[in-house]
Amino acid sequence: MESGLVAPSWNEVPRLQPGRIVEVSGPTGMGLTRLGLGMLVEPSRRSQVAALDVKGWLSPLAAWEMGIDPGRLVVVRCGDSRQWPRLVAALVDGVAAVYAEVPTRVGAKELRRLAALTRARRTGVALRPLGEGLPSGVAHLRLQAVEVRWEGVERGHGQLRRRHLVLEASGRGTAGMTRKIEMVDDGTDVMRVVSGVDGRRRATG
Amino acid sequence: MARTLCVWYPEWTDDEEPPDEAFRRFEKVVRAVEELVPRVEPAEPGLAYVPVAGAVRYYGGEELLARKVQEAIPPGARVGVADGPFAARCAAERADPDSRFIVEDTSSFLESLGVEALAPGELTETFRWLGITTLGELARLPREAVASRFGLEGLTAHRLATGEDRSPRPRPIPVHHAVESSHHDEPLLAAEQVAFITRALAAKMLAGLQREGLSPFRVLVEVESASGNVRQRVWRSTDPFTEHSLAERVWWQVRAWMESPGGIPGGVARIRLDPSDLSDEGRQMSLLERTERDGETVWQEVEVGRHDAERALSRAQALVGPDAVLQAVKRGGRMPHEQVTWYPWGDRPPDPEPEAPWPGRTPSPSPALVSSSPPPLEIEWDGGIPVRVRLGTRWEPVLSWAGPWRLVGRWWEGEAPADRYQIVTSVGAVLCFVREGKTYLAGVYD
Repeated sequence: MESGLVAPSWNEVPRLQPGRIVEVSGPTGMGLTRLGLGMLVEPSRRSQVAALDVKGWLSPLAAWEMGIDPGRLVVVRCGDSRQWPRLVAALVDGVAAVYAEVPTRVGAKELRRLAALTRARRTGVALRPLGEGLPSGVAHLRLQAVEVRWEGVERGHGQLRRRHLVLEASGRGTAGMTRKIEMVDDGTDVMRVVSGVDGRRRATG
Repeated sequence: MARTLCVWYPEWTDDEEPPDEAFRRFEKVVRAVEELVPRVEPAEPGLAYVPVAGAVRYYGGEELLARKVQEAIPPGARVGVADGPFAARCAAERADPDSRFIVEDTSSFLESLGVEALAPGELTETFRWLGITTLGELARLPREAVASRFGLEGLTAHRLATGEDRSPRPRPIPVHHAVESSHHDEPLLAAEQVAFITRALAAKMLAGLQREGLSPFRVLVEVESASGNVRQRVWRSTDPFTEHSLAERVWWQVRAWMESPGGIPGGVARIRLDPSDLSDEGRQMSLLERTERDGETVWQEVEVGRHDAERALSRAQALVGPDAVLQAVKRGGRMPHEQVTWYPWGDRPPDPEPEAPWPGRTPSPSPALVSSSPPPLEIEWDGGIPVRVRLGTRWEPVLSWAGPWRLVGRWWEGEAPADRYQIVTSVGAVLCFVREGKTYLAGVYD
């Protein structure tokens, strides 16, 4: 489907598409690592996928719980922002789908070059900037976390069971509109989108 | 199919020793066999094949030759002789240590083997499930039917079962696929330089072959020293070589030569790789995907760029080192970081632990960010109740929490017990534990 990364009904989890970058951004803790890894689930059924871990904290447990076979996921660790552009380019060049954390000190020029390589190699890429968002023109779709709620815990009782994550989607992938989507994740399967959330409003600027 | 002798040291293949070290030891075995029979083809440390048709006439029989080989090499080897490398390896597996297993009639020998003699995997399982338990039963199925239902993997299995081995269609081998790198002006002395060059050469050769949809099963490695000595060795692989597997083997070989008595005098002046036994299992390796069609399970070939991915990951490994390109398997444990065993990509995965309930395991969903050495976390408590937690520079009010769940420490190592908590704030949830009055961050539900 060439119309965009997100299904027009907004009832599906955003998927990676060949040659396009999805940006997932927001504070650590809201569930964006899981969202990014979740996008690797479908491509991992056909081929090897890679996750680039800048902080050295990425855990494959969450990916396995969502259905990625351990043999199909390779985690590459790189804390050096000078080495990052070459490393991510090497992965995008040959691995079908890549989730990568982006260190704060990577320049706009490198990221634009990465976008061009992604298009040329038709790789599906999800980028998670650890600092500011990506410069314009890099991502086809931007998903910004705006709110998170957890079900299952009370004052000392229960356990974390289900997360509701509200995202604002924007960019070329939404045809210039800003849309709000809410996703529910109970940890055992790929996340799903709750339909009927907040309508649409025109993006400003 | 040519008569082939297989020398196999099972404990070397399973050893925890790094493969390049193991190959340095194995190189001595290869040389000892080479004294008797030329053209020994190592496949991995502890496993080598030798075509023996000519040597058998010279030594007066396969049994005599096999015994001579065994006498010349260190104890522990199992030797098998049969038609083709696959059958020879199966024969070696059936030999006792320090003894020989010689197969006269390869077809009947293969017929009697169970399907697990093929590489273990889902396909073998499926064969068993369909009631095909021996290679003989598989061989009796029409090849077209096996190929159409199970794709390339099935076709290869059928070839092996019928005694054709993985022999690809014979093709003329174009000379231009050989690659070499010359350093006559400045011979290479440092091992790292050689490793880098071998990786680049392997990549170049495979890229050239892949453009024509070819992959090699055998590669001649040739090194010329600055003083003009030339050393050669053919490496064999049961599956077509990938960039990673080839670069690794070339490196083991060159390193073993560099460190052997006499070494490579004056350094490496030229390295050359020359492919042979080309297969058309090339550029796009096929994988099989099981799908349901009209209520029936069918295997569909899925085109995936396995070679592309391997090349990309090899390059990543060259950039950041093997310890930073990782895969993992699950293991038992209560905290998330205990449930993961990492290993370098390209290595053999550690054996999985049997699935067993693990009482006290932190429940799923698991945190996506986990630290193996949890850092301290600042939490403000009020009568045992968490009130505020410091995340970065901000204090966030605790909205809800679960816990404490007791975690009994490794008391035999003097570790104190701890209490685990899941803590929810407006920006997400964290997993932490309190031990001896201090709080640590074990993971973030990011």
